[in-house]
Amino acid sequence: MNRSRRLTLEPAFLLHQRDFQESGRIIEFFTQDHGRVCLFARGVRREKSVLSPVLQPFMPLLVSWAGSGDGGALTGAELAGAPVTLSADVLMSAFYLNELLLKLLGREDPHPEIYSAYAAALGDLAGGLSQARALRLFEKRLLEAIGVSLDYSQIAGSGEQLDPNEYYHVRSEQGVLGPVARSSAGIHFQGRELLSLASEELTDESSLAAAKRVLRAALDQVLDGRTLSTRDVARAIFDGRTK
Amino acid sequence: MNYSPALASLIAALRRLPGVGPKTAQRMAFHLLERDRDAAREISRSLTSAVETVGHCQRCRMLSDSDVCPICVNPQREAGLLCVVESPADVVAVEQSGGFRGRYFVLMGHLSPLDGIGPAELGIAALETILELGEVRELILATNPTVEGDATAHFIAELARRRGVKASRIAHGVPVGGELEYVDGGTLAHALAGRHNFESP
Repeated sequence: MNRSRRLTLEPAFLLHQRDFQESGRIIEFFTQDHGRVCLFARGVRREKSVLSPVLQPFMPLLVSWAGSGDGGALTGAELAGAPVTLSADVLMSAFYLNELLLKLLGREDPHPEIYSAYAAALGDLAGGLSQARALRLFEKRLLEAIGVSLDYSQIAGSGEQLDPNEYYHVRSEQGVLGPVARSSAGIHFQGRELLSLASEELTDESSLAAAKRVLRAALDQVLDGRTLSTRDVARAIFDGRTK
Repeated sequence: MNYSPALASLIAALRRLPGVGPKTAQRMAFHLLERDRDAAREISRSLTSAVETVGHCQRCRMLSDSDVCPICVNPQREAGLLCVVESPADVVAVEQSGGFRGRYFVLMGHLSPLDGIGPAELGIAALETILELGEVRELILATNPTVEGDATAHFIAELARRRGVKASRIAHGVPVGGELEYVDGGTLAHALAGRHNFESP
C-alpha cells in the first residue's frame, strides 16, 4: 500500500469511533469505493473543532484522508447533502447495521453494492418503513456480497423451483432441502416464505419471521462464534421495557 | 537517558496523566524535586487520601468522599428536578452555568451498542429506584448531543414516561455570540426544529 497517497472527498459513512489520546479519535468509516477504512482524526474532540459536528454515524459524508486506509490520517470531512435524521426508535437497528459491517467486512475491501444497500437501509429506517424488512433486506444483500448467500428460490442440488405451498428445510451449508411433510421434525419453512425472501418482497409477517430465522442462521455461521453486542444491548433494553 | 530508579519511576508515573508526554513528565519531576518539595509532599498526600476515600455517591453516582454527595444532601436543592448527565465533568459544567438548582444523576457514559454498553453499565437500575421514590417531578436529559447521547436520552425518557415522570431534553442549537453562517448544518437544523415562540407581553 502506498503510504503517501491522498484521497479527497470520498463518499463514506461513519461506522464507529473511539477516543484516542487527549483530543483525537480513531474512526472506522465505510467508504463507497475503498471499503472499510480506519483513520486517525487528531484534534476533533477540541472545543473549536469544525469536524466534530459532522463526524456522527449514519450521515452521508465526504471524507478525505492521507496515507493507507488502515491507520491513515483524516484530513477533512463534510456532509454530503442533507443530514439524515433517524428517530430514536430505529437507532438500535441502525447500530446493528454498523456492527454487521464492522464484523463481516475486511478493511479496504471495496463493496459499492453493499454501500448502496446500506444507504438504502438507512433511507428506509429514516423514512419510517418497516424496520424488520429493512434489516432483512440488508442482511440478505450483505451475505450475497460476501459470497455466502444461498438461493432461496430453488432446491439445492436439483435446482428445482420451490412450490409455494410445500414445506422445506434450510441448511446454511447446503441450501434449501425438501419438500418435507408439514409435521416433520426440525424447523421448516413454507415455499411461499422462502420465495418471498428470494425475490426480496417480504411484505407479510410470516415471511419476515421466516427470513429472520433463515438469515440469522446464515449470519451465525459467518460470525463463527463471535457475538453481536448490539443484539445483547437491544435485548437488555427490550427486557427493561417489558419488566 | 538513565535516570536513577526513583526518578525514573516518578517520571513514568507522571506520564500516566492525560496530555503528559516524556518531556513534560521530566520537567514536572525536576520542578518538584529541585524547587518545590513541599508541593510534592502535598500532591502525594492528597493523591493518597483521594484514592483511599473518594468513591461514588450512592444516590447520583457523582464522585464523592461521603456515601451521599454534598449536592444530594443539600436541602436547598430541589428534589423534584433531576438532571441526567454522562460524566462528573458534565455535573461541573452544569453547576458552573449557575442556572440549575436541582439534583443530578451521572450515567458514567452513554448507550454504546457497538461497545456492548447497555442499561446495566449505565446504572439504570439505580435511576429507576430514584424515580420510584416518587420525589422527582421532572427529569432533564442533559446527555451529549450525539447520536449515542440522543439514544440514551430517548431510552431514559421512555423509562420516565412509564412512571409518569415528565422528561425534557436540553435544547441544542446556535452558540451564544456565534454567527449563523459558520454553524454546521446539523446544528442549525436542530436549532430550527427546536425554535420557540416569543413570549407575548
